[in-house]
Amino acid sequence: MTKQNEQEGYTFTAEQLDTLKELGNIGSGHAITALSKLLDQDIEVCLTAAEIIPFWNVAEVFESPDIEVFGIYSEIPFNSDLSIMQIFSKESLLKLVDLLSFDDKSYAHIRNIEELDALSISIIREIGNILTGHYTSALADLLSIKLVPNVPTIALDSLDTIINSIIGKYSKISDNIVLIRTKMTLSDIKIDCIICFIPCINILKSIFKILNVKYNMNI
Amino acid sequence: LNLGNLKLDRIEETDTNGIINLPIGHYSIVKSRCKNKHLSPKLSIYGLGSCIALILCDFNKQICGMSHILLPKSTTKNINYPHKYANLSVKLLMKELISHGAEREHIRAIIIGGSKIFDLDNNMMGFENIRATKAELDSLKIDIIKEETGGSRGRIIIFDTEDLSLCIKSSGEDKYKKFKYLRLKKEINEIL
Repeated sequence: MTKQNEQEGYTFTAEQLDTLKELGNIGSGHAITALSKLLDQDIEVCLTAAEIIPFWNVAEVFESPDIEVFGIYSEIPFNSDLSIMQIFSKESLLKLVDLLSFDDKSYAHIRNIEELDALSISIIREIGNILTGHYTSALADLLSIKLVPNVPTIALDSLDTIINSIIGKYSKISDNIVLIRTKMTLSDIKIDCIICFIPCINILKSIFKILNVKYNMNI
Repeated sequence: LNLGNLKLDRIEETDTNGIINLPIGHYSIVKSRCKNKHLSPKLSIYGLGSCIALILCDFNKQICGMSHILLPKSTTKNINYPHKYANLSVKLLMKELISHGAEREHIRAIIIGGSKIFDLDNNMMGFENIRATKAELDSLKIDIIKEETGGSRGRIIIFDTEDLSLCIKSSGEDKYKKFKYLRLKKEINEIL
């Protein structure tokens, strides 16, 4: 077995990392406040992690890459690629759907996204819309740019499949992926969610420029 | 084509089940002729979404190679991970197999993956990966003996290099489907 070395010193300075973390904190802060109002529950938020990861190792940064999760993925059309991916464990999201709908169907044993009815799908999409919308509007305010996310798409699969299926788009020009992720928990009703903000690496230049952060990265 | 200075780092350890997990953009060559347990591991890929798992195998000599492909075509000049791209991976894996003693006319291909996880109109990654891999195999005139591509679910695959069997499981299913290819060795011998 031959494996290529982890190579090229492609790291951020502390200032750049802090900036990215702060972007994640601001965005997720707004998103989570919105969700908390919707559910009328307190939400615990872990610190945001901002990382630059080789493309083949992205799934490994999550605690358990093999569990079944719902991925809610929205692309944000900007002059380059930006996207927000929300990852809910299967049980968490179904519990949320339960909380927000009034019928008492149980979906605890679904294996496939087609088994959900139209109402549940639309609730999930709405949760996605609320989180993404608040996240991006906070970022747009901060950066004074226009960001309007697309309608999210939903998938139910293992975490590594969901992550691996989107990184192709973000590693076309570079072997590294920037991932800004915030974990939140509602401990009363046991709901876990990870919000990931994935900017394409060549967009960082304009973000750092707007925020007046030194930037001299060769892509 | 500039492949940079490739630093190669060999891994010969498997986990407790004798499985080597193959990350995206990496490849592996296994010669199963040596009847040493540590030398015929199982190669696995977890979370195979729009990526392609390409297995090329000389069923006569039992030399197999597997690569985990992410994108259809290389677009940049500086390539650090050639096996990330379908067009380069097929060529390089073929070359590597032959340099390890495989015979070109005995090599067959198995391709798995290329599903569409997120149902977006512009999400054609899986489809393009399948097309690029097939086109490349076609231009090298390698037969595909097994294809399990497309769909909307992720897959887990385990390729046992000892008895040349392949186990595939889609997300949402409980059991692995098993395909055995050891009989191919005889068939190929009979044809010749």
